[in-house]
Amino acid sequence: MANDREVLREIWDGKLPICFQLAQEEIMEIQQPDAFYVMVPRLSYFPLVTDKMKRHFLRYISQENSDSEMWLDYNGQPLKWHYPIGFLYDLFCGNDPQLPWHLTVHFTKFPEDVLLHCTNKDVVEAHFMSTVKEADVLKHRGQVMSTMQKKDHNQLWLGLQNDKFDQFWAINRRLMESHGDNEGFKHIPIKIYSDDGTCSQRLVSPKNNDGSRKTLQQMVAELYPDKHDVQLRTHGIIIPSDTPLQWLSEHMSYPDNFLHLCVF
Amino acid sequence: MGDEKQTDNVQSDLSNATESLKIEGEQKENGDASKSDKVKIDILLKATGNAPIMKKKKWAVDAEKPIGWIMEFVKKYLKLEPDEKLFLYVNQTFAPSPDQLVKNLYECFGTDGKLVLHYCKSQAWG
Repeated sequence: MANDREVLREIWDGKLPICFQLAQEEIMEIQQPDAFYVMVPRLSYFPLVTDKMKRHFLRYISQENSDSEMWLDYNGQPLKWHYPIGFLYDLFCGNDPQLPWHLTVHFTKFPEDVLLHCTNKDVVEAHFMSTVKEADVLKHRGQVMSTMQKKDHNQLWLGLQNDKFDQFWAINRRLMESHGDNEGFKHIPIKIYSDDGTCSQRLVSPKNNDGSRKTLQQMVAELYPDKHDVQLRTHGIIIPSDTPLQWLSEHMSYPDNFLHLCVF
Repeated sequence: MGDEKQTDNVQSDLSNATESLKIEGEQKENGDASKSDKVKIDILLKATGNAPIMKKKKWAVDAEKPIGWIMEFVKKYLKLEPDEKLFLYVNQTFAPSPDQLVKNLYECFGTDGKLVLHYCKSQAWG
């Protein structure tokens, strides 16, 4: 169970300053729109924090596009809304931090082959809850999520959506408990991304064969036997290689209960 | 969709539909054969709720394919209307993201050398 509460709080409070600019070819007014600056939680998703920004730009675009789906890109690379914002920043800017993060807003030419559609926040909720369930299958064979009530599921989602730490963690702590005789999860929910964004998901145990706690370094040696000096980044920091995976999972997972780590 | 007659039609056309899908799949694979090692993964597709049963349930799928590709495949196979929905579930628990790769799911949730996916036309497991 997660004990280092101040770590959880620090992670939760992580924010990114973002500068949104409307794509040049979308601008239909003589007057250029001002850029839109906003601080967003690293743990959130873009569709949850961009309502105001969207309204700001709507009056500058062609009327016929005002109902089409908005999407974002960084440096020409479309941003997947179903990844947490902080993870996207670490993936694209981890090696070369730039603040504020400059993103371009589009209302046309939706990149169908790269992005999933997100017509409203229910789609984000469905994706989020499904990912939490997947993580629980890995940790506790899905037993915690299946014994929770619908209102608990709602509270988890609303806690994230409304940026309420206590509301979220009142439920999430149950998902972070270890079951059975031995301390630790059955498996660690973990997604590791290479710099081209390819996600690799492997079955990782929090323990070594001899029962000792597995560290990040030991996992890396198992997953990348040929590579040396593999470093992993999450929440804007390089994770010390002697960090035990169980602790990492309890404290550094995103709200979807997965560790999202970038290799570099 | 549910009545017997249509189910029969679906089955008589099955071979044609899957044949064309396979060819399409192979051409695509040849295109980027250089980068993928063409590992195949066995998947087992099981109907749930009101979804029609597939005559052939076991398929070998390119490990690098996304789940969205399998969803489109099943929709074509079952001859669903474009606006009809199809939901895929792993472990009868969660719906994987359409951009999740088959190999990742197999790695974490595969059993007895295959990945079991349940499909249905309405949300089954929240």
